[in-house]
Amino acid sequence: MSIANATTTAPAAATAAATPIFPSFEQVYQGLAGQIGMLRQMAPKPTKTDEKRLQGAIDTLIEETNADEAVWLESCIHCGQCTNACHYFQATGEAKYAPMRKMDLYRRVYQLEISPMRWWHRLIMKPVKLQDFADASELIYDSCSECGRCTMVCPMGIDTASLVHHMRSAMVAAELVPPELAALRMEQKQMGTVFGSSPEALKKLVETIREQAGVEIPLDKDQAEVMVLSSAVDLVANGNGLLATAKIMNHLGIDWTLRSDGFESANFGLLSGDMSLWKQQADPIIAAAQKVGAKTLVIAECGHAYPALRWNPMVSGGELPFEMMYMSEFLGKQAKAGKLHLTPFEGKVTFHDPCKTGRRGGAFDEPRAVLAEMDADLVEMPANKEYNWCCGGGAGIFLLEDATRLRDESFKIKMREVNESGAESVVVSCASCRLNFESGRQKNHWDKKVHSLVELVADHLIDDPASLPSSNRQAAGEAQGARP
Amino acid sequence: MSLLEFARGPAIHAALIIMAAGIALRLIGVLVLTRGADLSRPRDAFGNFKGYRTVFSRAWPSGEFTTTTRYQTVVAYLFHIATLLVVLGIVPHIEFITSLTGLSWPALPNFLGVALGTLALASLLALIGRRLAKPAVYNSTLGDYVTWVIVALPLLTGLMAFAHVGPRYETMLALHILSSALLFAYMPFSKLMHAFWFIFSRAQSGLAYAHKGVRI
Amino acid sequence: MPNEPTLGGLLRSQGVSRRAFLKFCSTTASLMALPAGIAPAMAEALSSARRPSVIWLSFQECTGCTEALTRSSAPSIESLMFNFISLDYHHTLQAASGDAAEHAREQAQHDNAGKYLVLVDGSIPLDEHCSTVAGISNLAMLKEACAHAAAVINIGTCSAYGGIPMAKPNPTRAVAVGDIIKDKPIVNVPGCPPMPLAITGVIAQYLTLGRLPELDHLGRPVAFFGENIHDRCYRRPFYDRGEFAETFDDEGARKGWCLYKLGCKAPIAYNACAHIKWNNGVSFPIQSGHGCIGCSEPRFWDMGGIYDSVAKGNFGDGAKLGAAAMAGAAVGAGAAVLARRKKTRVAEEMHGSE
Repeated sequence: MSIANATTTAPAAATAAATPIFPSFEQVYQGLAGQIGMLRQMAPKPTKTDEKRLQGAIDTLIEETNADEAVWLESCIHCGQCTNACHYFQATGEAKYAPMRKMDLYRRVYQLEISPMRWWHRLIMKPVKLQDFADASELIYDSCSECGRCTMVCPMGIDTASLVHHMRSAMVAAELVPPELAALRMEQKQMGTVFGSSPEALKKLVETIREQAGVEIPLDKDQAEVMVLSSAVDLVANGNGLLATAKIMNHLGIDWTLRSDGFESANFGLLSGDMSLWKQQADPIIAAAQKVGAKTLVIAECGHAYPALRWNPMVSGGELPFEMMYMSEFLGKQAKAGKLHLTPFEGKVTFHDPCKTGRRGGAFDEPRAVLAEMDADLVEMPANKEYNWCCGGGAGIFLLEDATRLRDESFKIKMREVNESGAESVVVSCASCRLNFESGRQKNHWDKKVHSLVELVADHLIDDPASLPSSNRQAAGEAQGARP
Repeated sequence: MSLLEFARGPAIHAALIIMAAGIALRLIGVLVLTRGADLSRPRDAFGNFKGYRTVFSRAWPSGEFTTTTRYQTVVAYLFHIATLLVVLGIVPHIEFITSLTGLSWPALPNFLGVALGTLALASLLALIGRRLAKPAVYNSTLGDYVTWVIVALPLLTGLMAFAHVGPRYETMLALHILSSALLFAYMPFSKLMHAFWFIFSRAQSGLAYAHKGVRI
Repeated sequence: MPNEPTLGGLLRSQGVSRRAFLKFCSTTASLMALPAGIAPAMAEALSSARRPSVIWLSFQECTGCTEALTRSSAPSIESLMFNFISLDYHHTLQAASGDAAEHAREQAQHDNAGKYLVLVDGSIPLDEHCSTVAGISNLAMLKEACAHAAAVINIGTCSAYGGIPMAKPNPTRAVAVGDIIKDKPIVNVPGCPPMPLAITGVIAQYLTLGRLPELDHLGRPVAFFGENIHDRCYRRPFYDRGEFAETFDDEGARKGWCLYKLGCKAPIAYNACAHIKWNNGVSFPIQSGHGCIGCSEPRFWDMGGIYDSVAKGNFGDGAKLGAAAMAGAAVGAGAAVLARRKKTRVAEEMHGSE
């Protein structure tokens, strides 16, 4: 289901700078939006009996519940504070979207199966039914981007997002994953790809970039200091993302590679809640990075890929010979080290911290360091960094048709925040956020510009032999070698 | 056996036994569950312990939420502080605690006890008023209302007994002790356990986020 | 004793002026919450009243109640009043003994059937051998004496509520009069001992108005037992200010602060001690520096130590709480271990099936 055929068959243009090789992000969004509609028909149908699906959901929760989850489930006092933090509740004011309710079903299962009071609860409570899980789908997928903002206000500090994540695991076992995520999960599980991306598509894109933009991408090198990931969005739609990455890496003169045996940042195991797929997707990437002897693994601008790899609790990060970092982190470190030199950015700009890399990832300073390198007039939104409002499209919600209203309504909070900051443009560093911003921008005829950090950096590189067209690559190679 | 004898004797004794057993059961029954392992490398090798700050820092909402949570925070603080001072501050309570533990400390004058008891009851009314006025925010369950009543009763009866108003003192005292007994016995099996959970819950989240270099 | 004198004549012969007698009547009337105008009528009725027959039964008791009434420091109108009644049987006071004494009782019961009063002090052992008078068990004597009585007045906490003999472990299986006699009007005048004025007040009202006083839910005359000692205590302001004696010889004790912490039971005790006081209004226990022990209340002996404040739980020490916590922890740990096993089993099944 490639949606990027048009880009790969684009006529070769010798003058890349004049004619865009790849469609604009506006077009990318429109093309992708059409594709997403088709996902619903491709969703797999349940294969197990209702009893097995229910048992699987319950067993999954039993398996995933540790003392931490139990304490959080025990702690809620229904004080209602979380409603202040949740963009979906704030956008709708509907009781059912109160974050505290997103753990109600989990708590019931916990009380019946794990709690020290379970024998008592079994006397007074009705057993959980498959329908209960089906009914909870709206709370677990459509109205929770696992952004963790409610944890910031909860007097008990309950990590509702992680509880919702366990519920998503249960939903996988119950075969109740929303059709869009279910389709992508099945694709990734069975074919290892999403949106029809593949090593072949990667090779094609690398070719296209070399031929048309004159930018070399060292694909499948045996040894490299830095291994860079891409993502399906780059491969099948937004070639500019990979192009920008390549420009920057080459500009910095870094010994880097992109591996066709481990390039996909997107992880629909994490998004749908399938822990085994999560691991299945992460393992080859880790193996590839080890194989090439990388010291750094750079994760593409794909928000959930950060927790999927960097914060993967199943991967013993401390024992790996390389560091994992997000694109914005990598760029920020380069900027802080004085290696990244950029032309000035005009106008007021604000930075939107993706939930997965910000509040739930901790990469706050680095993207700002990059903007500082451009002498950008950075203004912060009223709620920023740890308190940043989710754009409303995270954790796969951008893909869910059923969540359209929630997504659109909650985006208005984001628009208000950006407007209040006084910025003329917003920089994001997450494909999901960017797609959702683009969607909101178009639907609301919003006058703000939305930039991707990596593409912005590529556009502001101070001209250097490394980024010159292919004819000058020889010289670029020499320059690269001369760099420390 | 008069009501007071029943209250001071078997009722409060049974309630305390249930409370002691119940709290231990629920705390141990949860805390002894398996511990999840996060194998990922912490952002800062020794930074995780900073997460324990959350146990204290979460005592007051951050600036971001000051306005939206002001009512709930202020009234809840009034309630908790006034209740704590009454529970630990007035002579009859200290006498009761002394008889159980041998510990004692100076008491507050009675007028303060009455004032604080009134304040506690008023703040509890303010909380239920808001809970009733904003059903979407609170998503109240039957348990929330039952808990409110069970918490309010000892305050009301205590205030009446302490101020010597209403029925005869020994009846009021008996009702106060009985309602307290109900509260004690109910406590381990209700959301009132947050008196203990908050420490663990905050610490867990604080650690999980500190692991990623985020201060919450 | 002179035969058939009137109380007026008796008092005059004892040198009590009419003025003093009127004063007693109005005091009694006001204490009994009777209309003020009734005092002269009461004096008139009492002056001309004929001696009523009274049978005083003493069972498991200490004679303290009799002592309180008869051994006042100075001869009081109360004690004279006591002399006035025709005390046909009181085995401590009467001169007769043995068969003669018992015969006097039987005679009085027979002669005044339906009209005589039975005054009882002491509790009645259901283990009948524990207390007998002239070979007759207390229980049998009580039933026999009350059979034709007009009313029964319980003098002291033992007869009213069982008192000290009934205190745990109650070796004699002592009970109160009211537990046995169900078909006669009973007035409880509890106290250990009761206030003499309360005894005479009840008798005076019965003699003058021909009826028994209004009673509270514990069968006590509201006039004397309607008020809480704590509410009437002159040390109450110290309680309200939070000024307490901590020991019996600290500064607070010397300054006369509240005795609540030293176990004063005034807040749950109902009696007239704080306003009528004892020994002709000289003092009462709290005034003398010792907390009230709540002696006019049922089972006062078993309601915690007399030096334990009323707020204390009455269930011994907290040893069982510790044990309960241990048991709870053990059950909790067991539940958690079972939950862990279940989790392991579930994980094996799930991954085995994949």
